[in-house]
Amino acid sequence: MAGVREQDQYMPIANVIRIMRRILPAHAKISDDAKETIQECVSEYISFITAEANERCQREQRKTVTAEDVLWAMEKLGFDNYAHPLSLYLHRYRESEGEPASVRRASSAMGINNNMVHPPYINSHGFGMFDFDPSSQGFYRDDHNAASGSGGFVAPFDPYANIKRDAL
Amino acid sequence: MRQAGAYSGLLCGGVSGRTGPHSLPLARIKKIMKNSGEDVKMISGEAPIIFSKACELFIEELTRRSWIMAIQGKRRTLHKEDLASAVIATDIFDFLITLVSSSESHAVGGATNVMEVETIDCS
Repeated sequence: MAGVREQDQYMPIANVIRIMRRILPAHAKISDDAKETIQECVSEYISFITAEANERCQREQRKTVTAEDVLWAMEKLGFDNYAHPLSLYLHRYRESEGEPASVRRASSAMGINNNMVHPPYINSHGFGMFDFDPSSQGFYRDDHNAASGSGGFVAPFDPYANIKRDAL
Repeated sequence: MRQAGAYSGLLCGGVSGRTGPHSLPLARIKKIMKNSGEDVKMISGEAPIIFSKACELFIEELTRRSWIMAIQGKRRTLHKEDLASAVIATDIFDFLITLVSSSESHAVGGATNVMEVETIDCS
């Protein structure tokens, strides 16, 4: 193929193929041109939805594109079948950052005997619900840092397993 | 004693270390969002998380519809033409028509798409 495709403009092909394989029967094959095309389609999908979400942001004179803006744009652009499971996903993601995650973290820590994990028995964040402020962004970063420790992987993993089951 | 769930979680985290619990890399999603327009300023941390799941649903739906096209053609290999046919046949994928068409400037490819669309109309 002429010209080098900028890989950072597309989702990694291995991840995309893994998701495709969930849908396809075992004997199905995927040609190289189909792999490239679906990578391009995914990036186009993200750009398409983001542009609509950002337009609403600007109309309302806000500077930060939020998860709610993304969900709104999906409904407006015909992906309302996605909006409901994604709202549930977002809700549970936010819950997982609150008290229940601490309990899971405590259980995981005891199971692993990892001294690096210090489960807080009193959660100063309340129920972990965040509004549209930058703290949600900062909080996400904290979670990302926590994931680098061995104990951190376990706590956020469980709720996603549940959500994935719901999505199917 | 280690719990099986904990161990599985660790393995899963380790295998896809760069994406954590998400199946698609959030940093990559954020970069694509940023490039969707020069006027995209700030992106909350939750927006790429929503997209990581939304893209899974999108890939699954596009794959399912493309596979239907492939089996209608009595084939077991998914081709670009199957993706193009699925896009043409599905309203919510209209925004992709230019993308899949531009990579199929070949006249024969175009004819194939038209034929398949006609087949769909007949059924």
